[in-house]
Amino acid sequence: MELRIPLSEKNKKLLPVDFDRVLYCAPYDIGEDGKFLRDSYLAVSDTGIYILNEGKLTKTFKIADYDTFKAEVGVSCGILYGIPKGADESGAQIIVKYSSSHLARYAYIAKGCRFLVEGRKDRVVSEEYEKYCPKCGRALPGTRTCPRCAGKKEGLIHELFEMMSPYKPQLFVIFILMLLAALTTLLNPEIQKHLIDDVLRKEEGDIRLAMLCLGGMLAMSVGIAVVNLLKNYFCAKLGSVISMDLRKKLYSKIQLLSLSYVNERKPGDLMNRITRDTQRISDFMGDTFCNLFTVAIILICDVAYMLFLDTKLTLISMVFIPLSVFISIAFRHNIHRRFHMQWVKDDKINSDLRDVLSGMSVVKAYGKEEEESEHFNDTADDYAKTQRRNETFWAVFFPLMQFMMGVGIYLVTYFSGKSVLLGTKAPGELTQFVNYTSMMYMYVGWLSNMPRMLMNLVTSVERISDVMQQEPKIADSERAVEHKIKGNIEFRDVTFGYKTYEPILEHIDLKVKPGEMIGLVGASGAGKSTLINLIMHLYDVDDGELLVDGINIKDIKLANYHSQIGVVLQETFLFSGTILNNIRFARPEATTMEVIRAAKMANAHDFICKTPDGYNTYVGEKGYNLSGGERQRIAIARAILNDPRILILDEATASLDTESEYLIQTALNRLTEGKTTFAIAHRLSTLKNANRLVVIDGHGIAEVGSHNELMEKKGIYYGLVTAQLEMQGTPATEAIA
Amino acid sequence: MEEKEFDLAEMEKETEEMLKINLLDEKKAKFTRTEGGFLSLKTEEKDYPRVLAVRMFPFTDPDRYISIRTTGEHSKEIGIIEDMKSLSKEVREIIEEQLSLRYFTPVITGINSIKDEYGYAYFDVMTDRGRCRFAIHMGGSDVVHLTETRIIITDIDENRFEIPDILQLTPAERKKLDLFL
Repeated sequence: MELRIPLSEKNKKLLPVDFDRVLYCAPYDIGEDGKFLRDSYLAVSDTGIYILNEGKLTKTFKIADYDTFKAEVGVSCGILYGIPKGADESGAQIIVKYSSSHLARYAYIAKGCRFLVEGRKDRVVSEEYEKYCPKCGRALPGTRTCPRCAGKKEGLIHELFEMMSPYKPQLFVIFILMLLAALTTLLNPEIQKHLIDDVLRKEEGDIRLAMLCLGGMLAMSVGIAVVNLLKNYFCAKLGSVISMDLRKKLYSKIQLLSLSYVNERKPGDLMNRITRDTQRISDFMGDTFCNLFTVAIILICDVAYMLFLDTKLTLISMVFIPLSVFISIAFRHNIHRRFHMQWVKDDKINSDLRDVLSGMSVVKAYGKEEEESEHFNDTADDYAKTQRRNETFWAVFFPLMQFMMGVGIYLVTYFSGKSVLLGTKAPGELTQFVNYTSMMYMYVGWLSNMPRMLMNLVTSVERISDVMQQEPKIADSERAVEHKIKGNIEFRDVTFGYKTYEPILEHIDLKVKPGEMIGLVGASGAGKSTLINLIMHLYDVDDGELLVDGINIKDIKLANYHSQIGVVLQETFLFSGTILNNIRFARPEATTMEVIRAAKMANAHDFICKTPDGYNTYVGEKGYNLSGGERQRIAIARAILNDPRILILDEATASLDTESEYLIQTALNRLTEGKTTFAIAHRLSTLKNANRLVVIDGHGIAEVGSHNELMEKKGIYYGLVTAQLEMQGTPATEAIA
Repeated sequence: MEEKEFDLAEMEKETEEMLKINLLDEKKAKFTRTEGGFLSLKTEEKDYPRVLAVRMFPFTDPDRYISIRTTGEHSKEIGIIEDMKSLSKEVREIIEEQLSLRYFTPVITGINSIKDEYGYAYFDVMTDRGRCRFAIHMGGSDVVHLTETRIIITDIDENRFEIPDILQLTPAERKKLDLFL
C-alpha cells in the first residue's frame, strides 16, 4: 500500500515544505460537516502535519507539540487524532476524518507519526495490497497488479506462454488439427455448389459426378466430426494437464509462503486460486483456445473467398454485422444478469438450508418448526419464480436473437436470388454464398464473446502469478546456518503485530535457560499464542531480536530449526492416514520399535492396542474416531519421537476429562524433561511444574517469577489464581497454602 | 497496569454493576465537548476525560439507547441514554457530533449508473453526503436487506451505504439495482 500518494503540482505548492520532505501523504474524504470531500490530503513531513482541504491549506500541526497520534476505527469510517504533550485524553485533538477506504493507510501513518514523535529515523512501510488499481480505478481481484493494466504489458502474455511452453508438441498437433478443421468447414459449401450446378441443374445429371459430390460431402462431414473430436480431445487434455501442473505448483508455493501471506487472505481465496482459477485456465484451453485459431482462420478465409466470389454482395452481407455483434453482447449481458440472480437465490436457499439443518436441535427445542418451514417455502417459491422467468425468457428470446443475428442472410438471399433470376448467377453459387454468409455471422457472434473470455483468463492468470511471484517473507538468508539447538532463548526488545501498525507484543525482554519450563499466563487475546508463533518462527519480529543460543533466529536454517521443535496444541490435527504414519509425521525414518516406545511414553500404547487395527488404524477426517485425549496422546507421541529441543504446549490439557488429563499430564512430564518448554494453559494448576511463569498483559510482560514469588507479589497472577479457586469453591487461603 | 489485590467482594460488586442498567440523565451526568472535538463526562462518582457514544440499535433505533462507554481496550459501559430527545439541545448536539464521528453510513438518494465488469459492480451514486463511486463484489453478500425495502450495501473497502426505501428510487434506478435485490 502506497503511504506517500503523489500530489498534483497545484497541491504541492500549497504545502509550506518541499514535497521531497513529505514522508507520508494520503487523501481523506470526510469533511467537518460529514460530507464527502474531494482532492483533500494530509501530508506529514518530519516536523509537521499539513491538512489540504479542497485546494486550501487549512491546518498545520507541529509534531513536536504532541505526545502521540492514534488512528481510531469507527463504523465504516475512522479518525486520526493527536494527544498534545502533557495532556490526557480530554486534550485529544481530531486531525482528520476518513471513510473505510483509508482506514489501513491512516493506521500506518499514525504509526509513522508516532515514530517521528519518538525521534526514530526509520519510515513505516506497508506490504498490504491496494484495493483499487491506482491507474485505471478498477477493483483489484486480490492481486498486487491490475490484470487489465498489466495485461497490456508483455508480462502476462509471456506468463501464459511460459505456462504452455512445456507442451509445444501437443500445441503443434492441435494447430494442425485446427487448420484441418478450418479447411474441411470451408470446403463443404464449395462442393455443395458443384453438386447443385453441375449435377442437379444439368438436364442429364451425371450420376457418377453426383455420387462423387455426395461422397465428398460425406467425407467432409465425417472429416469435420473426426477432426473436431480429436482437436477437442487434445485441447481438453492439454487444458487439464496445464491446470494440474499449475495446481501443483501453486500448492507447493503456498506451502512455502509464510503464514502471514496465508493469513492475510480469506481462507476461501487461496482455495479458489488453486481450484477455480486453474479450472478457468483449463476451461479456456478446452472451450476457447481450441476453437480460437480455427474460427480466426475460417473467418479470414471465408471473408476473403466471399470477396473473391462477389465483392459487392460481400459488402452488402456485412451491413448487419455491427447489429448482430451488438445484439449478441447485449443478449449475453442480459442472460448473465438473469442467471446470476438465479445463482444468488440458489445460494441463499442453500445457506438457509444449512442454517436450519445444523441448528435443528435449537429449532426443535424452541418449537419453531412451522416458522422455519414457512420461511423456507418463501425462499423456495422466490427461487422457483426467478427460475421460471429465466427459462421463459430463454425460450422466447433465444430463437428471436438467432433470427436477428442472421438478418444479413436475408439480404444476401434477396440480392443473389435476383441475380439468379436474371441469370447472372447460378443457383449453386447462391447456396454457396448463403452458406458462407451464415458461417460468417455464426463466427462473428462467437468472436464477440472473446473479450470476456480473455479477460476471465487474464484475471485468473494474474491471480495465479501473483502467488507464484510472491517471495516468502520468512526465508533462509544467505548467512543461514544449521544449528543444533541447546535451548537458550532470548527476546531482546521484541515488538510484533500481525499488522505492523497494530502491535500485539511490545518491548518483550525475556531470557530462557536450556531445559527451563516457562508457563505463559494471561487473558485470551493478550498475545500468548503470538509469542509462541514467534518462537516457532512462523513470523519474523518487527523490531528487536529473537536469539536462540545467542544466534539470531533469522540466521538459522528454517527446516533445520523446525525439525528441532515439538508442538502439542489444544486441537490436535491428525492427518488422514494410519496412527503409525501420524506418529512418524516428523521423523518418517523412525523404526517401529522407536514408535512403540514413544507411544508407551505418551501413554498411548494401550488404547492403540485396543483399536481393531492397532497401529494400522486409519484415522483422520473419514477414519476411526478417536477421543480428544487420545488424539492428544498421539500428538505427544509424535513430539516424543521427534525428540525436540524446544517444546511448545498450547492448551494441551484443556477440554479433557480428568482421567485422560492425568494420563496426558504424566506423558507431558516425561516429554518436557530436559527440554526448553513453553506452555500455555488457562487452568493454572496445569502449570505447577513450570520453573517460571510469565504473565502477559497490555502487550507486554507484566510479571515474571515462580508460582510462589508471584503469589507473594499479589499482582495479576495472584488475582487469576484466587479467582479460579474461588470459582471452584475452594477458599483461597487454604488452597494456596 | 492494574495491580490490586484480589477481593471477592469487590469482584462480586463489579459483576453486580455490570448487570445493572444505569440510565443517564443530565442531572446525573454532565457531558462536555472537549476542545479537540471529543466528549468528556463528569458523573457523581467519577470524571472521565473521554467517553465513547455507541448506538445499540444503529439500524432500528439510532436515536435511542446510546451506550456511553469508557475508551480503551477494556471498554466498559458507564451508562445508557435511553432517548436522545430527553436531552437538552446543547447536550444532544455534542453527543450527536460524537455519533457522527463514529458512524458513517451515507444514504443513497439516487443512482447514476451501475456497471458490472469481471466480478465487480461499479456504483456511481448520489448520497446525502455528496456524489460517490464505489465497487462491490458480485455474487457476495455485499447487499443486505434489513427489511423488504431497506438495504445496506457494503463496498470492497467495507464502507457502508444505505438505501432506506428502494421504492423511493425511480423505476429506472430500481432497474439498475435489480440484480442485487
